[in-house]
Amino acid sequence: MEFITKEDLNGTKTPLYETHVKLGARMVNFAGWLMPVQYESILKEHETIRTLAGVFDISHMGEFIFEGPDVIPFLQYLMVNDLKLLEKSKGQYSCMCYENGTVVDDLVYYEESPERFRMIVNASNVEKDFQWINKQIGNFRVKVRDVSKERCRLAFQGPKSDDLIAPLVDTDLSTLNRFYFVFCNLCDVPAFIARTGYTGERGFEISFENKYAVTIWNAFMKTGAGAAGLGARDSLRLEACYCLYGHELTNSITPIEAGLNWLVKPKEGIDFIGKEVLIRQKKEGTSRILVGLNLLNRGIIRENYKLFKNGVEIGYVTSGGFSPTLKNTIGLALVETQYSSIGTEFDIEIRNKLLKAKVVPTPFYRNI
Amino acid sequence: MDLKFPADLKYAPTHEWVRMDGDMATVGISDYAQHKLGDIVYVELPVIGAVLEKGNAACEIESVKAVSELFMPLTGEIVETNGNIADNPAFLNSSPYGEGWIMKIKVSNPDEIKNLLSVEKYQEMIQKEED
Repeated sequence: MEFITKEDLNGTKTPLYETHVKLGARMVNFAGWLMPVQYESILKEHETIRTLAGVFDISHMGEFIFEGPDVIPFLQYLMVNDLKLLEKSKGQYSCMCYENGTVVDDLVYYEESPERFRMIVNASNVEKDFQWINKQIGNFRVKVRDVSKERCRLAFQGPKSDDLIAPLVDTDLSTLNRFYFVFCNLCDVPAFIARTGYTGERGFEISFENKYAVTIWNAFMKTGAGAAGLGARDSLRLEACYCLYGHELTNSITPIEAGLNWLVKPKEGIDFIGKEVLIRQKKEGTSRILVGLNLLNRGIIRENYKLFKNGVEIGYVTSGGFSPTLKNTIGLALVETQYSSIGTEFDIEIRNKLLKAKVVPTPFYRNI
Repeated sequence: MDLKFPADLKYAPTHEWVRMDGDMATVGISDYAQHKLGDIVYVELPVIGAVLEKGNAACEIESVKAVSELFMPLTGEIVETNGNIADNPAFLNSSPYGEGWIMKIKVSNPDEIKNLLSVEKYQEMIQKEED
């Protein structure tokens, strides 16, 4: 075999870079950041999150603060989800789209007050998003700040995350419902803690000033939780069927095509970017749609493998891999809508061979 | 890294190990290779009876993150494969020189054996790759 690629280790370091290296992590360059892809084993880290709890450094993600009297109307204009469903101390998942309905980014924003929101965006899109948002501000009385590099972000996920975080905080988090957040003290330092995640397990996403990063990370490790890298983060999110920007959502895929019909709200009387296309697609459907699939033969499917029905190309895999929890090969694929119903079988081309796959219900696995 | 490289084996520059017994070569991947690949989740076994030249791809090995090819370290006929690794691909990680062996080749050109690397030369080579 060949190991030709030398990792480009010229990248931005998170405040936990040295900590990861000390733990023996394999560091990779992801979106310009040096991030741990795994510590010892992706499979073990995956299992730790499914059975116990683990902590991820997600400081590479972007964090914006929106302030001003027009924050809500501005976000209503940018987002496909409806902020009327939001309230103070709650977050909301959404996409912001181009006029043609394809996706600038998928993200979560949190309402700290009607005039102050916190937004977490994908690492690979931070600069693009910041520019896009500022370009749309126009007459909206809103100021946006990029605080990404001032703050550390962690995800603490797993069925035991509630028990393990409890001794570290001064607030009862057991009553915090999904997508709600609090400001409280974590290891005696001020932190933003939301009950959100990207793993399909209970858990928290946390943000605090960079200078506390090592203290808080070590405190999590002392609880008996594991450290988990980007490899496990990807296999966990795939089992839970969460879209990953650049795969299921891109600037040539709309949220409706990606199966996020529920996310695009009618928002009657409110104009938002992409509305015309998206509302039409919501009503009339799209010619292609995202499906979950199982590989029926042995093998592994990966991004961009082509799908065929009776020899005719009908789509491609957006994400695929081995499911550590289910012990089979799973994938997400964008297919022609006529081949999207559960049980439909088709072929996937893997290096000049055709293997059988079948459309199955999604998510593959969630425990929330 | 605490990797093991048995001294009685020969190594190909492409990270396969070879154990010779007469004209039969048992082949697997080195501890370094399994470490670089990470968790191995699928091995497509080589085709028994295939006659392949040194350097040809014999089979594919899939880790969680990527697919890699196993190359023929020597020219010959594939006469046996390790069926256990189809059900337990993790043997390649846990026991690369034992339960994780991949195939046996009936070597057709014994002269090629002397071109394989000794354990010292192989370790030197990977040291250079790492630097």
